[in-house]
Amino acid sequence: MGFFDDKQEWLAEVFAQYPEDRRRSALMPLLRRVQQDEGYVDFERMKEIAELVGTTATEVAGVMSFYSYYQGLPTGKYHIQVCRTLSCKLAGADELWHTLTERLGILPGEVTPDGRFSLQAVECLGSCHTGPVIQVGDEPYVERVTKARLEALLEGLMQDKPLDEVRKTLPDEDKMGKATIELDGEGGAS
Amino acid sequence: MPKVKVNDRTVEVPPGTSAMDAIFHAGYDVPLFCAERHLSPTGSCRMCLVRAGAPRKGPDGEWITDESGEVKIFWFPKLMASCTLAVSEGMVIDTLSDEVRHAQSGMVELTLANHPLDCPTCDKGGACDLQDRAYEYGLDAKFYTGPAGEPVYTRYAFTKRHVDKHHPLSEFIVLDRERCIHCKRCVRYFEEIPGDQVLDFIERAVHTFIGTADDGLPSNFSGNITDICPVGALLDRVARFRGRNWEFEQTPSVSTDDASGQFIWIDARSGRIERIRARENPELNDIWISDAARFGHEWADQDRITTPMVRKGGSLEPATWEEALAAMRQGLEGVERGRVGIVLPGDATVEEGLAAAELSKQLESGFLDFEGRTAVPASNFPAASFASVLEADYLLVVGDPTEELPIAHVWIHKRLRGVPMPPRFNHGTPIADLAIREHTPPDPRLLGAFAPHPTRVMAWAEARGVFEPGHASAFFAAFEAVLAGREPTEVAGVEPEAIRRAADRWRAAEKRVLFLGAEVLMDPEAAKLAEKIAKSQGAGVFAMTPAANARGLEAMGVWPTGDREGPRVAFIAAEAPPQKLLEMTEFRVFHAARMSDVVRRRADVVLPAKTPYEKRGTLLNAESRLVGLEPAHVDAGEAEGLTQALGLFADALGVQAPVRFVHQARKRFQERYRIDLDKLEPYGTLWRPRVSLTPRPVAPAEGNLYLRPSMWKARHRLGAVVQRALGALELAAHPETALAEGLDEGATLEVETPLGTLGARLVFDPELPKGWFFLPAGTPAARLPFRALVPQGGETS
Repeated sequence: MGFFDDKQEWLAEVFAQYPEDRRRSALMPLLRRVQQDEGYVDFERMKEIAELVGTTATEVAGVMSFYSYYQGLPTGKYHIQVCRTLSCKLAGADELWHTLTERLGILPGEVTPDGRFSLQAVECLGSCHTGPVIQVGDEPYVERVTKARLEALLEGLMQDKPLDEVRKTLPDEDKMGKATIELDGEGGAS
Repeated sequence: MPKVKVNDRTVEVPPGTSAMDAIFHAGYDVPLFCAERHLSPTGSCRMCLVRAGAPRKGPDGEWITDESGEVKIFWFPKLMASCTLAVSEGMVIDTLSDEVRHAQSGMVELTLANHPLDCPTCDKGGACDLQDRAYEYGLDAKFYTGPAGEPVYTRYAFTKRHVDKHHPLSEFIVLDRERCIHCKRCVRYFEEIPGDQVLDFIERAVHTFIGTADDGLPSNFSGNITDICPVGALLDRVARFRGRNWEFEQTPSVSTDDASGQFIWIDARSGRIERIRARENPELNDIWISDAARFGHEWADQDRITTPMVRKGGSLEPATWEEALAAMRQGLEGVERGRVGIVLPGDATVEEGLAAAELSKQLESGFLDFEGRTAVPASNFPAASFASVLEADYLLVVGDPTEELPIAHVWIHKRLRGVPMPPRFNHGTPIADLAIREHTPPDPRLLGAFAPHPTRVMAWAEARGVFEPGHASAFFAAFEAVLAGREPTEVAGVEPEAIRRAADRWRAAEKRVLFLGAEVLMDPEAAKLAEKIAKSQGAGVFAMTPAANARGLEAMGVWPTGDREGPRVAFIAAEAPPQKLLEMTEFRVFHAARMSDVVRRRADVVLPAKTPYEKRGTLLNAESRLVGLEPAHVDAGEAEGLTQALGLFADALGVQAPVRFVHQARKRFQERYRIDLDKLEPYGTLWRPRVSLTPRPVAPAEGNLYLRPSMWKARHRLGAVVQRALGALELAAHPETALAEGLDEGATLEVETPLGTLGARLVFDPELPKGWFFLPAGTPAARLPFRALVPQGGETS
């Protein structure tokens, strides 16, 4: 069964937003819907979307792969995106990435056996002054991610606490002004 | 028209011209990678940077002047990509200053930074835009010297990007992702020309690569991307590794793979055809050719017959021409002249047709026919030119142009996207035509598409429908009813609303073009109605005949006449002659280029033939345009042309053939029609002869196996690469129909066809009319009883 088979009303609403001969414009909302509901967009869904908007699976794949938001492989309950562009890199994003992959035992495209976590390196998230930055799912950023803050974050998420609550439990290392220094070099913060 | 100053020369160009075309028009050069003729300019490679400026008008409407009273030029603050910059009155363009040259060499340097520089092993070497520009800019001492003034070969100190190097995009195309410079020509090509968006950029930034999610690039025009790729990233897998560009002997000729007469280059090396490329003809095929024309040439090197052969003791043995003549004399002895049959191939040239018609007239024989002949002559319909498609207000398609006349598919798509006929400059077609825009959807209101099976162009058509095979006349009757102001009569499978809408649009249009497929041309009743509609409404018609030179052969009088007794002997130059002819004749002379089953079993004497790639001759294409074939440098043994072979055959009959050589045929043609076939226009000469022939049915249409048209003819499928690409023939049917016969999807079976028993794989298509099986083989639109032999236990999931 197709994903959109039981969403005809929603589809009609989306298509109504665009001129009739520009149905292709509905590509993004449709992709977004699948990503939101299923956590990723698999090839069958891409073909289904292509058929609905009147294009080829190739174009859907082209659009989808342009945006880091869309996933082609299944993701965990908490999909962690790590910014790896210059500012965050200087602030220790490489070490953060290293710690994360070690700690979770996964690489991009994989999901932890408990189905909780998946990982992705992304380009600039636009919060250079608070690097290194990660984003969990669609939630607001977690900033200045030192090793201690990371540990606390993962600890909280393991217990499936809401992110807002977990956020409150993170050690406040901002004031120490050491976030960047602590993660710098091997081993990171002690 | 705006006057533009390019360096020191002033030229006048039409408004909307790009700066790039103004530069070339003025006789200057500018480097480019991403702009390409007939594609939208996007400015993605930034190679064509120039310095440009223009005067401005003040509030008083006068040009603003500088202190000295001269018109002041306001220079753009940065260098501009000339391909996306439209000219304006008084624009000044500078392509020669150091600033411009430095920027351009910087772009070459950037493009080369991650380019593998494997030119010595790259098939594009010697014909590569990037290589040429690297030579031009690569070692400019002015910009690249070390501290001691020594030349600097590269300033890039890091390891180059390593990615997939031999990625097969399809069986026909291989992609080298390291060589790709992301000019996007191929991506734009697929969207804008055939309208099959099967290639796209995947990922972004430094990770970007060209890729597809549609297996095997499903398009009839995928090969053109190998021509337009400015580097060696996209290569033709038939031609790959077959030679270097400077080794090929290039012959400008014409493809005989369909009735459009697409212009091609035949690249041969050491007596073998290695590659076919598109040759520009802005009135016919632009710079595009179909995949069949490009990849389907391998048969010309396979199982060639290089000497005459004579049947001795049951088997064909090589012989001399004298022996062949003697054998023919013996076999033809005592045969009544009027009982000699002659069958030509569908791509016999006008000259050959003339020779055959003259001989047939001399013999007073009515058995003159050609392969792929339709029941109704194409000449009955007023021809239209491809250029007229762009001016038409409504296009009605009854058939499948994508398969029957592939280049028509491209022109239909151009029309629906609103692309105008490009102007001509000193350098020819505009390289960056700003009138072409990316992402223009086709306008469905301009097209009505109907056929006995779903077709590719139906996706663009507002009015469309699938009728049952054999019901084309019902369709035209309903169409005519609406034109006459009545309600449409019923056509099984087609919604009356679709017919009403198509007919209304047709009536409201001023200029109309009608495309008729074999389904109509094989059905005298439907053809008659179509002819009436076209003629009463002044529409141009494309008769999409299976034979490449149907109009030419018809014009020469190659058409069966009279009801005589069957021929006793036959001269057969067709690849798959009618079974009936083979059965009724006692002695058969074959003129064949290639050994095939039918030759092996049925020939008494075989004369070696030239393939169309080796001929000098003329075709009259579907537009009624004369286009010329030139012989490529191919080693064909003792092969002779059809005209000479017919002459020898006439000798054996004891008759002096009126035309024995191509130049004699051309002389006669000139006497008769006042056209010199030696001196055709560069893009072909439109010629609309008056021909009157009586429709003549081809074969009785019985049964529920329908041979649907395919661009890929039997001979194309002989090539190893084509075979691998196409796989088994697809026998398509409505699921209910197939299941009623006990056949499940994916079953492999053998089907009896006029081409012999062919292996096929069953596919379901719920859009097909019920009760029919569709096979893309043999004479299009022919119908025969469906005989599927023992399913071989295929995967019946």
